Amino acid sequence: MKILAVDTSATVLSVALAEDEKTVAKATLNNGLTHSETLLPTLEGLMDEAKWKFSDIDLFAVSEGPGSFTGVRIGVSFVKGLAFGGKKCVGVSTLEALANNLSDFCGIISPVMDARRSQFYNALFISDGKELTRLTEDRAISVQDLEKELEKYAEKPIYLCGDGYEIARKMLKNENICDTPSERVFQDGASVARVALAEYKKGNFTDDMGLSPTYLRVPQAERERLERLAKEGK
Amino acid sequence: MKKETLYEFSSESVEKTEEIGALLAKELGDSDFVALVGDLGAGKTAFVRGMASVITPDAPVCSPTYAIVNEYTGDKRRLCHFDIYRLADEDDLISIGFYDYKNCVMAVEWCDKIAEVLPEEYYLVTILGSGDETRKIKVEKIFN
Repeated sequence: MKILAVDTSATVLSVALAEDEKTVAKATLNNGLTHSETLLPTLEGLMDEAKWKFSDIDLFAVSEGPGSFTGVRIGVSFVKGLAFGGKKCVGVSTLEALANNLSDFCGIISPVMDARRSQFYNALFISDGKELTRLTEDRAISVQDLEKELEKYAEKPIYLCGDGYEIARKMLKNENICDTPSERVFQDGASVARVALAEYKKGNFTDDMGLSPTYLRVPQAERERLERLAKEGK
Repeated sequence: MKKETLYEFSSESVEKTEEIGALLAKELGDSDFVALVGDLGAGKTAFVRGMASVITPDAPVCSPTYAIVNEYTGDKRRLCHFDIYRLADEDDLISIGFYDYKNCVMAVEWCDKIAEVLPEEYYLVTILGSGDETRKIKVEKIFN
């Protein structure tokens, strides 16, 4: 099965092409440039090098959030466009994909993304070095609350990843937190492809129409609409 | 907080307000932040039009009240023109992707609405007066 995977949920852009479990090609950009301008040329270059055609792709995977609202919108709408006409799609939790960067590590895996307002987008996973098991839902959590939760897992090494890595390392006081190799810290299209394949095998897939962003916060436009409906008594 | 008043002008016309905007724009770096405060019709958009004439010449400037943000792209620089009047709080800023804007000059109208919009260092443009009144325009540099 040919999989195309996209992650634009944070500053790093990563796209990958995978044939089942094998990563065929991957490109990651961390140059601060706008995803809306770099995503298509990066992917086209990758497809050319890999000699893949868009019509060959069996499964479209995208990191659907949480993350930067703009980034998530770019990734999800881009993949919706590619999969137009009812092709198979999997929307992957950004945090689960990040945790998958470290699935061969043993311990608690805690992806942290900067959610501002002194919060992280976070979920906790435990890994035996082979398989990840989810311990919590995706949520926005304060630094203090995350610190308290991590205390529960005494004597297990804790690995952090995500764009909140540096801040979290500074703010979280927990002796079990270990260094994460720098190349595993940020979003990785190959991880998105792996999670998508696993979800697909479980029957958790949709099509272009079914893909939708997950923000974990109510966007401004939806809030305004809800307020208007409430005012109109609907 | 440290404040430094850069200039104070009176303006009798839209053109004069634009000139003052252009004057400030000449001092700005590639990613400076300009906060604009003033009543409806005070001339905030006119001020930004003046800024754009320097930073991104020929870009058509209009009020971003409905779009929330207009992006003007020039040969070398980019100017992002926000109107946050309809936004309620920091969550709204996050949701419109406000903090995703980097490497551009920011001009933000109605900055007095949400405190979290302001960075540590910025230019504050206060325009007093509306309707036919003469405007008093003050430009300050703020360091938090």
